[in-house]
Amino acid sequence: MESSDYTKVAILGAGRGGRALLDLLHQIPSIEIVGIADRDPDAPGLARARELQVPVTTNVPGLISNHGLSLIMDVTGDPEMETYLYTHKPPTADILSGSASRLLWKLIQHESKLEAELLQAEKLAGIGSFAAGIAHDINNPLQLILGLAENLTEERDLVAVHEQARDIIQAVKRTSAICRDLTGYSRRASPHEDVPVAVNGKLDEALKIARYASNFHDIEMIKHYQPGVSVKGNPDELLHVLVNLITNAVHAMEHVGGTLTLETKLCEGQVDVRISDTGCGISPDKIPEIFEPFFTTKAPGKGTGLGLYNVKTIVNKMHGVIAVDSQIDKGTTFTLTFPNAEPDRQGPLP
Amino acid sequence: MSEFKSGFFIGGEACNGRVLVVDDEPDIRKVVKMTLQKAGYEVLEAENGEKAIEVINSGENRLLLDVVICDIRMPKINGAEAIAYFRSNYPHVPLIVLTGFPDTDMATSFLRQGVVDYLVKPVEGEKLRSAVARAMEQRELARL
Repeated sequence: MESSDYTKVAILGAGRGGRALLDLLHQIPSIEIVGIADRDPDAPGLARARELQVPVTTNVPGLISNHGLSLIMDVTGDPEMETYLYTHKPPTADILSGSASRLLWKLIQHESKLEAELLQAEKLAGIGSFAAGIAHDINNPLQLILGLAENLTEERDLVAVHEQARDIIQAVKRTSAICRDLTGYSRRASPHEDVPVAVNGKLDEALKIARYASNFHDIEMIKHYQPGVSVKGNPDELLHVLVNLITNAVHAMEHVGGTLTLETKLCEGQVDVRISDTGCGISPDKIPEIFEPFFTTKAPGKGTGLGLYNVKTIVNKMHGVIAVDSQIDKGTTFTLTFPNAEPDRQGPLP
Repeated sequence: MSEFKSGFFIGGEACNGRVLVVDDEPDIRKVVKMTLQKAGYEVLEAENGEKAIEVINSGENRLLLDVVICDIRMPKINGAEAIAYFRSNYPHVPLIVLTGFPDTDMATSFLRQGVVDYLVKPVEGEKLRSAVARAMEQRELARL
């Protein structure tokens, strides 16, 4: 990396603005956050900084005298701080403060709103591909219910009547489960704070939903779950990521069948989630583009081109990384690596 | 059952013809069978296109199978592929599509291929039986 591309940044103020900046800048590899300062030891940004292993301090003079510091971002909103910075900053450092930092804060908020919109747009566009699966899974039990009910109007054998009534009840329950699964998925991701999410359970939930969006016929399933692994993030967003990757994997095996492997693993304090297919693969020249917004290999009207873009955005937001390994006609593996949500556990359960 | 006068008897039961139901859901096969047996049809089952092709190619079914009712979304050989096979190898056997997914384009394309009816689940017993009766008439005409 060129040293001129490398930016060392100090953040002053760890309120909502400071925290948002921290989350944003932390994702950019060419930016090093040398520290974050706030007078209030309970400021939300400080807790976040500790999680991200960014140095936390109350000593502003010490922080801004950091060697090679190129940018001071002041989101304290304190006019005295602004004056202080202009008189004490090292000559190499630029200052972003006052209305400039407020503008930046607005832009960040705007961006996160746009990201949420893109995610929702993609989800809604994807509902179309669920239609066939939903129709199939609702109309089949309805056929059973109708047929049995018609028969019951003239059935004389009481044992048969009871048995068929029980079948009807089961079919109704199956049908209502479909609505339950899907309403959970289609709603806007709830804005709650990041929480530990049990990955194995989410994978199973995603599998259920992906079945509506894609044809699982002729697909063999293999699960290698390490018990109890969890990652930190928004559960709805993680679900979206997993549904997306599973659906893609199954589409890659469409018509020919194959094996879908879901794997979770805790190693060296990190959680790996792996989704592999034995499908058509991605050609090497396409791989650099797959995470770009609006990139799609699907026919017009079939894909939004937002799927993997949103996947990557969410994974990065969770401080994870996504890697892809693919071979034409052999298959593709997506590996998501997240920080372990339970740092006490570094390895497999004994 | 006045509408099925042409029935003959096998083993003491009225037989108005032999119908093959192709659907991956056992529940659907069960309920369709129940509905058609009431009208005096003998009902065979297959859980996918591959099995359906096996059934139609086995023994007397080559000659005696009258009508096929076929789902579309199925594993192995799916409905569309099975229908294409039946049309080219057994063009005299009328086909009825019974699907959970109403799709106008698909319906048009199947009807063009010679499928006699495109029914969407859930279908009432009466409607199913009259579709099969119509198909049986066609089958009779093909035999003449």
